[in-house]
This record gives sequence, structure tokens and C-alpha cells, in this order.
Amino acid sequence: MRMLSVLSRLAWRYLWRNHRRTIVMLGAISIGAWAMIFMTALTRGMVDQMILDGISALPGHVQVHHPDYLDDPSINNLLPLDDEELERRFAGAGFVAWSSRVKVPAVITSERESRGVTLLGIDPAAERGLTFIDEENIDGRFLEGPDDKGIVIGAKLARTLETEVGKRVVLMSQDPDNDIADRGFRIIGLFHASMPDHEDGYVFVGKRVAQNMLRIGGATTEVVFLGDDYRNVEPTYEQVLAAVDGSVSVKRWNEVATYLGSMLEVMDGFVVIWVIVIFLALSFGLVNTLVMAVFERVREIGLMMALGMKPSAILGQIILESMLLLIVGLAIGDLLAWASIQPIKDGLDISIVAEGMEMMGASSILYPKLLLQDVVLANVVVLILGFLASLSPAWRASRYEPVEAITKV
Amino acid sequence: MNTRILLPLLLLVSSAAANERDATQIVRDAIDHWRGLSSYTEMTMVIHRPDWERSMTLQAWTKGDDRSLVRVIEPRKDRGNGTLTDDNKMWTYSPKINRVIKVPSSMMGQSWMGSDFSNKDVARADDIVDQYDHTILSETDEDGIVVFEIESIPHEEAAVVWGREVLRIREDHVVLSHAFYDQDDELVKTLQSLEIVEMGGRTIASRQRMVKVDEPDEWTEIAVNDVQYELELRDSLFTLSNLRNPRD
Repeated sequence: MRMLSVLSRLAWRYLWRNHRRTIVMLGAISIGAWAMIFMTALTRGMVDQMILDGISALPGHVQVHHPDYLDDPSINNLLPLDDEELERRFAGAGFVAWSSRVKVPAVITSERESRGVTLLGIDPAAERGLTFIDEENIDGRFLEGPDDKGIVIGAKLARTLETEVGKRVVLMSQDPDNDIADRGFRIIGLFHASMPDHEDGYVFVGKRVAQNMLRIGGATTEVVFLGDDYRNVEPTYEQVLAAVDGSVSVKRWNEVATYLGSMLEVMDGFVVIWVIVIFLALSFGLVNTLVMAVFERVREIGLMMALGMKPSAILGQIILESMLLLIVGLAIGDLLAWASIQPIKDGLDISIVAEGMEMMGASSILYPKLLLQDVVLANVVVLILGFLASLSPAWRASRYEPVEAITKV
Repeated sequence: MNTRILLPLLLLVSSAAANERDATQIVRDAIDHWRGLSSYTEMTMVIHRPDWERSMTLQAWTKGDDRSLVRVIEPRKDRGNGTLTDDNKMWTYSPKINRVIKVPSSMMGQSWMGSDFSNKDVARADDIVDQYDHTILSETDEDGIVVFEIESIPHEEAAVVWGREVLRIREDHVVLSHAFYDQDDELVKTLQSLEIVEMGGRTIASRQRMVKVDEPDEWTEIAVNDVQYELELRDSLFTLSNLRNPRD
């Protein structure tokens, strides 16, 4: 123990004997640590946002469909459970939110243009929390109930169709007999979505109006459930699974939106790779510094050995030097990262590059997310790899022959 | 006292209702006149674009309100292409691929055989009668024939994108023009009758042209070469198998 305190005092003093070199090295380490943590937090925030957006883009946490619906999302694959039956099984079962919808492909036509869209017949009250629609941010108004005869479309779609609130559009789809089901709707509201794809891909009408138009009675095509946390959907999944039989398929969000699901997995691997890559760049500087520090004082080391210091103590001292350097550097880096995330915690406006981000399905405001596990990971990886990198110069220093070392010029 | 006030009021109400019924009746009569209980038409359709023009000769049979069969006889390479409508359903057949295809709802808004008519125009010609409210805007005398100008406004839930349509119909049931206005009341396209002749025992518009207001260089013209009305048409004419294998 005494040995350790002597060694660390020696190491600490040595570090500051050549303070310029130490400060440069500290700078490199802290910038490296800052980059690891800061960039990870940004990427985490982005992926998180993408997943939250993705989930609010309608999948919910758990979905129930006709077994063939996901392969062929058509009116022919209706859920075998109608609204009354669903109500009986799921109402008051303690989900954060749940809702059944009619979701089929349709064509929307104005006087000048027509576009393929996904028609969503919803019960607006039940959808709260399940859609990406921000009811505060609607030109006009949102649907008021499942019997609302209006239609709400995206602002971008309205521009494409050259139409606006108050005008009529025609929605065309087909009924289960493959006959045309169409109806005129008056536009009551235009919604804005963070992703342009949503803005021109979805149109919302009242659920019962859609059911009448498609002549499907009380049937729907999907039921979605929202649990507490998207990272842990198992309880919700189990609960839904227990309430239905094999005639329907129950899926977690990461099975429905496989892109989002694998994104989350990739992200965890990406953090480790990112930390290691930065460290590799750092390690050259670190090893170089240590090797220099050893070469510089061959005579000093020889003298200490001649005075009776054990080779293991020499080894320990060099490793301690590198550890001290790393710990101080990491501490500064962690502080820097925290300090630079703090002011942008409430969202970083990246709308300058929004177009590119939207292609990836991310929105234009970035909320960095600092996870303790990422900080710990970065620090531990740097310390362990730093220890390994300093072994070689330390080993070399401890193997000097005292006489040779002292006489070395 | 009471009757003296009520009577004019009653007359007013009933005349408004009569006007509306009249307008609807005029439109219905015009369509029935054009189509008859059954009909056979041979016509030439010219599709004109600024840089090209193409013409095709078609045969068409109709029976009742909702059944029709159209078949291309010229040009040779398109010979046998056909369209069958029954109620609101529509099928097309092309001998080149030897398949009958049901036109999905998503394609009803698209162009019929490359013309300025949509599939929907062809399949659902008589929606105009019952999915609209008709009123007579004016009655004028043109060369001794009364012409009714009728405004047709689609019902709120009708599958029609137009704000209103204005038809000019002669008292002998010939449609002179059919104008489509958008919901800002801007004229979008018109179907105009260019020639009116006596044919098949009726006075009909023998040449009609559909023009979009924005693109006056793009139009589709349909000229009737021959027409016969009130024929005995077999029901088997309007079947998928006849669409595929003509047996006439």
C-alpha cells in the first residue's frame, strides 16, 4: 500500500515534469472522450426520436391483425373480431391506449390530381397517443368522432392535389367483394407531420364513416395497443396474446416495423465501434508519449533499479502514469461532454440539414440523449485499452539492466 | 284570409319543386335519348396532342342504364381491345396479353384508352342523374329551339370532385355542352357538341369534343359514324366471355 502511494506520487510528479507534453496529451484524451460521449448522445437521441416518431406513426407497441394482413394490407383481410367483440375483450384492461382502425389503400382525387394514399378510419378519442397527429397543429380542425363526415389530410398532400380546407375530394377504394367503394369528403383539416412521408401518405376519416363506405359493418383491419415503454413491450404483448385466439396475429412493434427494430439493435453495436475507433486514434498518441517518457529517462530508471527498486515497481509506475493521464483526461472529457449537451438538451434545431435527415426518417429537431451506460462504456473501454497499450513500454522499462541503463548516454 | 296568403306560397313551393324535378327530368331524358333502351354505335375517337394525334374506330353496345361493351376495331394493332361495364364495375380485355382485367378502383380516375375521358366517365355516365341537384339556370331560344341551361351540383357525399357542372340541353334532348367547374368555380374542361345530325331515327350530337381549359391543344373527339337504337341485344353480349371471345 505504501509502495502504491510512493509510486503514484512519483508518477504524478513525473507527469508534470514535462508539463507541456502532458497537457497536449490530456487535451487529446479529453477531446477524444468528449467526442465519444457527445456523438453517442446525439446519435442516441436521433435513433430514439426516429423510433418514437416511428411508433407514433401508427404502429403502437403491439398490433393485432388478420394473419394475412401484413403481407396483403387489403380489405379482404379484415379482423375476425368486430368492434363490439374488441370492446368486450380490451376495454378497461389497463392499456395506456388502444384503438381499432380501418387501414386500407385508397386513391384520393381532387379536380386536378389523384394520389394513392393509406386511408385510416379512426376513432379520434381512442387514437390519442397513437398517432403522429398534433391536434394543436392543424389548419382547420381534427375529426371529432367516429361519425365525423369530414376528412383530414396532410398539408403537403393538399398542395399536391391543389385543394384546401373546405373543398371536397373523392376517396376511392374497394369493398370486400372487390367492388368500387367511393365517397366524397369535405376537407375539414390539414395536418402537419415532422416527416413529409406521413404528410402525403395518410388521410384520416371517421371510423364508422369508413366502415359504411367500405361496407364492412363493424369490422376493422387492425388493433393497436400502447404500453408503458417501447423498450419493454413484453407485458403488453403477453396481455394481448392471452385475450385472443389463433385466428389473429399479434405482433410487437419491432416485428411490424422491422426497420426500426433493427435500427435499435444496430445502434447498440454502433456505440461500441465508435468508442473503439476513437480510442485507436488516441492510443497511438498515448503509446508514443509513454515510449518517449521511458526513453527520456533510461538513466533515471537504471539508477532507481540500482538503488533497489524492483522491476515490478518500475512497471507499476509507468502504468500508473498512463492511468493517471487517462483518468484526468477522461474526467475533463466527461465534464466537457456534459457541459456541451446541457445547453442543447431541449432540442437542437437541425432544420438546415432536415431534408437529408427526413430521408432517414428522422425529424428536424434533435434531442441528444445522454445515457449513463454509454458514458460508463466509453470510460471503461478507454481505461482497459489504455492499460493494455501502456503494458509494452512499461514492460520494456522494467527489463533494463541497471548498469547498462546508468551508463547509457 | 288564410287561403289568400297560403295559396301563392303553396304555388311558389310547388313550382320550385317542379323546377327541380323538371331539371332532373331534362337531364335524365337527355341521357336516355343519347343511349336509348339499347343501342349500337360505331364511332371514331381522335386523341389529339400538340405533337401527335391518333384515331381509333370503336364499336359500342349499351343496354339499359348500366351495361355497355366497347370494342376497338381499328387500328389493327389495337383490334379486339375491349371494355365491359356492368353496374359500376369495369373490365378490360387485351388480346395481346389474352387476359381480362378488372379495373381496380385505384385506376377508375385514369384515362380510358389514352383519351381525355376517365374510366369513371365511361363506367358511370348516369351518376349525373341521381348524385346531383339540378336547377334550370335559364331557358333561351336559339334558332327556334329552346335551350335549357342546367346547373348540376353534386351531393355532399357524392364521389364527384367538381364544384358544379353546367349542361346546355336542347328541348329535343340534345346535349350541346357539358362544362366542368372546380370548387373555386373555375372552368376546368368542357365537352362540346360540334355537329348535330339526324341519325338512327334520332337527332343526336354526332361529333363531340372534350377539351381541358388549361391545355387547349389537347383534346379528344368522338364522332359517331353509325348508330342504331332499340335493338334486341342478347344479355350474353355483356359477359366476360364475350368480352374475351366476340361471338357476334
